[in-house]
Amino acid sequence: MALSIGLDTAVKALRAHQLAVDVAAHNIANAQTPGFSRQRVLLRPIGLEGAAWSARDSLLGKPGFGVDARDVQRIRDAFMDYQARQALSSRGQRSAFAAPLRNAETIFNDPSDDGISALLARFWAAWHDVVNEPESSAARTALVHATQTFTLRLQAAQSELDLQRRNLNQLVSSAADEINACAREIAALNLQIKQVELNGDRANDLRDRRDVLLDKLSEVASVQYSEAQTGEVTVYLGSHELVFGATARTIVAGPDPGDPTMTKLTWQNDGFDVVASGGKLKGILDARDQALPDLQRKLDAFAVGLINGVNTLHRQGYGLDNSTGLDFLQGTGAGDIRLNPVLAANPHRIATAAAPNSPGDASIALQIASLELRPNMVAGAPATHLVTGETLSPGVTLVGLQVAQGLQPGTYTIVENPPSSGTLELQYDGNPIGTYNSANISAPGGTIQFTSGSNVVATLYVAVTGTYTDAQQVADLTAPGNNAIRVEVAPGDFYGNLVSVLGADVNRALGMEQSAGLLVDHLDAMRQATHGVNIDEEVTNLQAAQHAYNAAARVITVIDDMLDTLINRTGVTR
Amino acid sequence: MRLSEQARVHRQVSYLTDAADRMDRVQRQLATNRRIDRASDDPSGAALAMQYRKSIAFEAQMRRNLENGTAFLNVTEAALSGATDLLQRVRELTVQAANDTLGVSERQNIAAEVNQVIEQLAQVANTSFGGVYIFSGHKTTTPAYAVGGTPPAAITWQGDNGERLRRVSTRDVVPVNIIGHQVFGNLFDRLIQLRDALQSGAPGAQVRPYIADIDSGLERVLNARAEVGARLNRFEATTSRSLETDTNLQELRAGVEDIDIAETIVRFTAAQNALEAALGAIGRTANLSLLNFLR
Repeated sequence: MALSIGLDTAVKALRAHQLAVDVAAHNIANAQTPGFSRQRVLLRPIGLEGAAWSARDSLLGKPGFGVDARDVQRIRDAFMDYQARQALSSRGQRSAFAAPLRNAETIFNDPSDDGISALLARFWAAWHDVVNEPESSAARTALVHATQTFTLRLQAAQSELDLQRRNLNQLVSSAADEINACAREIAALNLQIKQVELNGDRANDLRDRRDVLLDKLSEVASVQYSEAQTGEVTVYLGSHELVFGATARTIVAGPDPGDPTMTKLTWQNDGFDVVASGGKLKGILDARDQALPDLQRKLDAFAVGLINGVNTLHRQGYGLDNSTGLDFLQGTGAGDIRLNPVLAANPHRIATAAAPNSPGDASIALQIASLELRPNMVAGAPATHLVTGETLSPGVTLVGLQVAQGLQPGTYTIVENPPSSGTLELQYDGNPIGTYNSANISAPGGTIQFTSGSNVVATLYVAVTGTYTDAQQVADLTAPGNNAIRVEVAPGDFYGNLVSVLGADVNRALGMEQSAGLLVDHLDAMRQATHGVNIDEEVTNLQAAQHAYNAAARVITVIDDMLDTLINRTGVTR
Repeated sequence: MRLSEQARVHRQVSYLTDAADRMDRVQRQLATNRRIDRASDDPSGAALAMQYRKSIAFEAQMRRNLENGTAFLNVTEAALSGATDLLQRVRELTVQAANDTLGVSERQNIAAEVNQVIEQLAQVANTSFGGVYIFSGHKTTTPAYAVGGTPPAAITWQGDNGERLRRVSTRDVVPVNIIGHQVFGNLFDRLIQLRDALQSGAPGAQVRPYIADIDSGLERVLNARAEVGARLNRFEATTSRSLETDTNLQELRAGVEDIDIAETIVRFTAAQNALEAALGAIGRTANLSLLNFLR
């Protein structure tokens, strides 16, 4: 074997190890670059396959031709990426959902000294003060003020919830922008990667960039993707192709025809709705279209309950000037609840007496003040906590009682209407609050009252399916074939329930956000364990490459010496 | 497991932020003295806290109602006490006039005194408290009795039987007022008749029957005073029960909403130690590198 081959081998080694140094340098340089995958020189010995066929025989039993270091491999685990992206979608969804809910909680600001429930308590107290001194214009004026403070606070809460929803529109639009930008860049990268890899080269850094974009996209909206032979990825959002080869589809944010104040996303090419099954977009839409409206409906139900309850009594009463038939509160919900302006301007017209010409009579005012204690609001209606259509056969477990926050396990006894047979277990927050053999459940129209001491804290009505207004109550309850329940609670409990259910929702959302975050961290660490750069490792590689480089250089010196011996010393006598 | 640079940095940052976050939370609890700052901190605790707060506000209002009622009853009691004195005085005068030895001019002197009692008693029956005629039933802006003429020739009832109700506890709605007509009855008519009889020098035999009227009036006033006294006692008892309830509720509320200072300080110290330990550990490991050992 010729010495020149040895030199050639040594030169290959020098190149290989120089490449190894370059790769280590690249890795070290990108140690903190997000999404960077470490690279490794794939070293392969060059054996007989490198020699010409004619030379094979003579080379048998001889060493090979050195090292081949053409390939620089990118270390990446596609399955880990897939898992991590699912976790990213989940985290995106949870955190986008939790944030507006948390804001909503701040809007209510309860329990506190100046939240809505404190203002409600002041509203009742002001009525009591009027009961104490119905002739007093000071007490009446104070009631006007307490009512206005309370109703304005309700209005503010409702409009702040509206604002929250409208603010989420901007997030919807910016999610669309992000998706579009990612899609366009992925499509461009698809083309470049395909071109580079067609030549047999590696598009390592382009792929890194594309993986970063897929991560980002997954966080915004849950996407599916698959990689073709050509190295291009196809990305699906819902059932639509978002990226196909070098083509990216565009999604457009525009007003929802159903509700022009809300932003809706559609596909530009066919006008279909964009369906988000995960990611930030889904979290935002869930909060905007479900959680917040649900809260607003409950707040409306609370306001309407108060308006109806107070007005029904107030209309029967007489003011100091004998005016009667007036509404105390006006409005159709929490957004526009207000004190009747006639009464605001003329507090003496507030109806306190049950008969005309009775300035000292406050029996109507007393009944209004006592609304505080009466379970008179349909908890949950028309929102989700009303259990409708549930068959109350004996032994069935009724859920939905979480509406009555006063119902803590073990504190209450059940009176009235013992059942003829079987048992009925009522639950609070998943825990039984009592099994009882009372209540004639099979007979519609029955009521079950929950008492604390001698106070009724909630009334269960055995009733028909559907939603009710107070006026419908008796008629519906007694209609045949009816088998749903409804729960009525006092106004304060209704509101308290609204707040604590929201609190539980926020708590759950934050918990899910946190655990999704932990999963992302974990999977990211696992991913990093594969493709991340470790400096110590790279320095070791650097050292190894340096040693090998030095040794290869040494080989050249040795061969040089050998050539020198051969050329300058061989055949020279003396 | 291979630990990449980015993972190491990310972890160190998250150790630090977690530890700092925990410390911040405990610190906030210490600063606000509240365990529940928002409902999501403890949803079921928040529900309880709101119940307690609602009940505390309710009890406070009940005490306010009781206080207001007590003031009203005290004024009523003072008025009835005055009525008692006046009726006792007029009874003495009547007993005196029932004696046949008195002459006409002496009877007329007594008549003048009786007239004074009538006028004062009418003032008592028309006692007003904060612009409210307390004996008028629901017609509280009208004096209980209209006094016609000077000296009064007729004193007529203008009130009604309306009860002045108020709530004093979750269970009890009670009246605070005493109806003037039920206390004074026909007293004014009879006293006016007595005065006129004395004025015309009526003999003892004609005066004597009035004693029974005055006695039954006195009895009605005393009954009313007993009723007022009983109500005042009950109000006092209800007030102290409400105060007890309030103490219990405040304790319950504090138990749910407020922090246990000792426990929270211990947790704060623990969180602080954890943060310091995390900082120390990062400080010591951050400089660990193979490079330190290579020339």
